[in-house]
Amino acid sequence: MTLTHPKAPSMATLACLQSALSTLRTTHHAVPAITHITRRKASHQAQGRANGAKDGAGKRLGAKKTGGEYVVPGNILFRQRGTHWFPGDNCFMGRDHTIHAGSPGYVRYYQDPARHPKRKFIGIVFEKTQSLPQPTHAARRRQLGMLAYQMPTPPQPEIATDETSAAPTKVSDGTTVSIRNSKMNPGGLQLTLGPGYQYRQSNYEIGRSGDKKEAAANAKGKTIRAFAKFKPGDRFAAWRKSVVRVARSRERKVMGRGGKGGAKKKN
Amino acid sequence: MTLQRASRPVAHCLRQSSSTRHARTLATTPIDPSPPTPHYHHHPTPSPAPATPSQPARPPQRSSSLSRSNAPLGPEDAFQEARAFLQEDRREKLEAIGLQRVKIARLQDRVVVGEQNGEVERRKQREKDNRVRSMGRRLEEMKVMADINDPMVKKRFEDGQGDMTKPIYRHLANTQWHSYKRQILLQRLTQMNVMPDVLPALDPIVSTGLAFPTTSSTTPTRSRLKRVQHGDFVPSALSSQTPTLWIQPYNKGTRLCTVAVINPDVPNVEKDGFDHRCHFLAVNLPISPINTRVRLGELGSTSESKGDVLLPWLPAYAQKGAPYQRMSIIILEQPSPTLTPIVTTLLGAVAESRELDVTSASQDPRYNTRDGFNLRSFVDRYGLKAVGADLFRTKWDEGTAGVMQQAGIVGWDVEFRRKRVEPLPYQRKASERYR
Repeated sequence: MTLTHPKAPSMATLACLQSALSTLRTTHHAVPAITHITRRKASHQAQGRANGAKDGAGKRLGAKKTGGEYVVPGNILFRQRGTHWFPGDNCFMGRDHTIHAGSPGYVRYYQDPARHPKRKFIGIVFEKTQSLPQPTHAARRRQLGMLAYQMPTPPQPEIATDETSAAPTKVSDGTTVSIRNSKMNPGGLQLTLGPGYQYRQSNYEIGRSGDKKEAAANAKGKTIRAFAKFKPGDRFAAWRKSVVRVARSRERKVMGRGGKGGAKKKN
Repeated sequence: MTLQRASRPVAHCLRQSSSTRHARTLATTPIDPSPPTPHYHHHPTPSPAPATPSQPARPPQRSSSLSRSNAPLGPEDAFQEARAFLQEDRREKLEAIGLQRVKIARLQDRVVVGEQNGEVERRKQREKDNRVRSMGRRLEEMKVMADINDPMVKKRFEDGQGDMTKPIYRHLANTQWHSYKRQILLQRLTQMNVMPDVLPALDPIVSTGLAFPTTSSTTPTRSRLKRVQHGDFVPSALSSQTPTLWIQPYNKGTRLCTVAVINPDVPNVEKDGFDHRCHFLAVNLPISPINTRVRLGELGSTSESKGDVLLPWLPAYAQKGAPYQRMSIIILEQPSPTLTPIVTTLLGAVAESRELDVTSASQDPRYNTRDGFNLRSFVDRYGLKAVGADLFRTKWDEGTAGVMQQAGIVGWDVEFRRKRVEPLPYQRKASERYR
C-alpha cells in the first residue's frame, strides 16, 4: 500500500505566489525560481507587542547603607523612585528622592507614628546606643558640628547708634556720590549706588531730566526745543519740520550705520 | 428670599398671639374687597412666585403691634421686627441667667453630710464642687449668649471699643485670636521646635505681642516701638533694648505671671551641642484682661509697674557662623495658694495667685545663673503653668559685635566654622583619573 503524502502545490501555483510576493520583498537577492517551503512557527504571540514598553537595564536602586552603619554627611543611604522612604532626623532628600546623610553618625530605619501614621523614615543617630524615633516631648538631640576660631580680622564694632539703620545696610541704601567737576561725570549728576553695584542715576531722574532742562531754559526765557510747539492747522510749520527731518535722515543714510559706512560702501 | 426671611418674625409674633385675633390675618386672597396691588419699590429683587405655601402672594397683614394702615411692609419694618425679636430673646436669656444664679447660690448653701468619717463626705463634696463649677461655666456661656446677637456689641468690638471687663468682648476677642493669630503662633512654635526643646508641651491661652523701642533720626528724643511678629528675625541693634510685652488673657480676674526669655541654641563646642541661656526672668507680674502691657525695662522701678526682676534683660546675640538662635518668651501662671492645683475658681474666675518667694529664687544657684538655665526644672519647682509664648530669632549681623562689646559679653570676635568630617575610606583605583 502506498502512503498518501500530502500533495505538493503545482509549479504554476508556486510561480503565481512568488510573483505576488516579489513586490513585498525588501532584499533583491538572486532567488531561485522555485523556493523551498519553510516551516512557520506555530504561534507568533511569543514575539510580544510591537510597540510595548521594553524592559531596560536595572538602575541599582535600593539601600546603600544598612541600619547601624557609620556614615558621613553626603553619603547616599537609599536610592528610590518616589518616596518609599522619607528623610528623618539629620537626613535630607535630593531631587530624585535619594536620601542622603546630613551628619556623621549611624543609620537607623524606623517608623514614627507621631510624625506620620504610615510613613517609613531613615534617620541618623549620633551614638550607637541611641535609637529612633526620639522620645516624645523630650528635648531633641542636636549636634553643633562646628568649631570656634578667632576671627582673623576682627570686625570694626560700630557702637549701636540709635539710628533706624538697625536693619543691616543693604546695597540699595541710597548712598549718594556726586563726583562733580570730574572727567567721568561732566554733568555733575547725582549718582547713587544701586543693586548690581553700579553707580547710576535713578530712573525717575533720567525720565525727568528733559522736563527739568526745559523748565530751567523757560526760566531764562529760552527753550531747548528744536521746533516750536505743534499747532494743528499750521501746514507751513509742519512742512518746514518735515523738510529738515527728511534731509537729516537722507544724510544719515548716506553715512551708514557705522561711522565710515558710507565711505566703505563706495569702495 | 428676603421676603420669606422678613415675614418670619411677623409669623412668629402672630403665632405667639392669642386666638382672639382675626382668623384671617395672613391671607392669600384680599380681606378687603378692593385693595391696591402691592409693589415693592424699595428693593429691585422680584417678589417670589405665589406657589410657595409659606409665602403669600401679597404682603402679610400687619398685626396690631404696628399701624393698621394697608401700606406695604418695607425692609425697615422687617428690621424693627427683628430687633424686637432679638430683644425678647435677650430678655428670656437674662431671666435664665437670674435663675441660674439662684440655683448656684442654693447649691452652694447646701451642706454636705456623710457617714463613714470622711470618705463619703469627701466624695460628695467633690461632686458638689464639680456641679457648682459646671454650673458656673454654663452661667458664663449664658452671659455671652445674651449679648452675642447685639449689633451694637459687634460694632463696638470691631471698632476696638470693647470693654474687656465684660465677658462678651473677651469671648469675641478670644474667638478672633483663635481663628488666625493663635494658629500662626502655634505653627511658628512647632515648626521651630520650641515645644520639645524649651518646654514639653504648651497650649497658649493668652495672646502675646512684642515690640522693641527704637529711636529714629527724625524723632531722636521720643522712642517709637517697633512691633515684632512671631518668629521674626530681629536685628541685634533693636534687640539690645529691653522690649515691651503685651499679655492679653481672656478669663476674668488678675493673676500673677512669670516671664522667662530662654535661648536654647547657645553653641557649646566642648559637648558638640547646644546650651540654654536665660536672657530675662521676672516674677509676680499682675496681668488682667484690662492691664496687658508689661514694660520689661521698668518692672519694679515705679509704683504702678509691679513685679520682681530676677535676671535683667541681656541683649540677644548670635556669634558669626553659628546658626540662628531662637529667643522664646514663655509666660507662666503662678499657682493659687489653695491646696488643689485647679486655677479657676468655682464660678470661672481666676483664683488669687501665690506670690513667688523672690529671695529664695535669687539665692538658688540653679535659677540665679543665666548659663545652663533649665526652664523645665524651674516650672516644676514652683508649680508654674505655661499659658502663653512668643518667639523671635536672632542671627549675626553688622551690629552684633558692637552690641556684644557694649554689653561686655566675651566672644564678640569669635566665629564658628563647620568641622571637617573625614570621608569614609573607599577603594582607590590604580589610575590617577579615578581619584
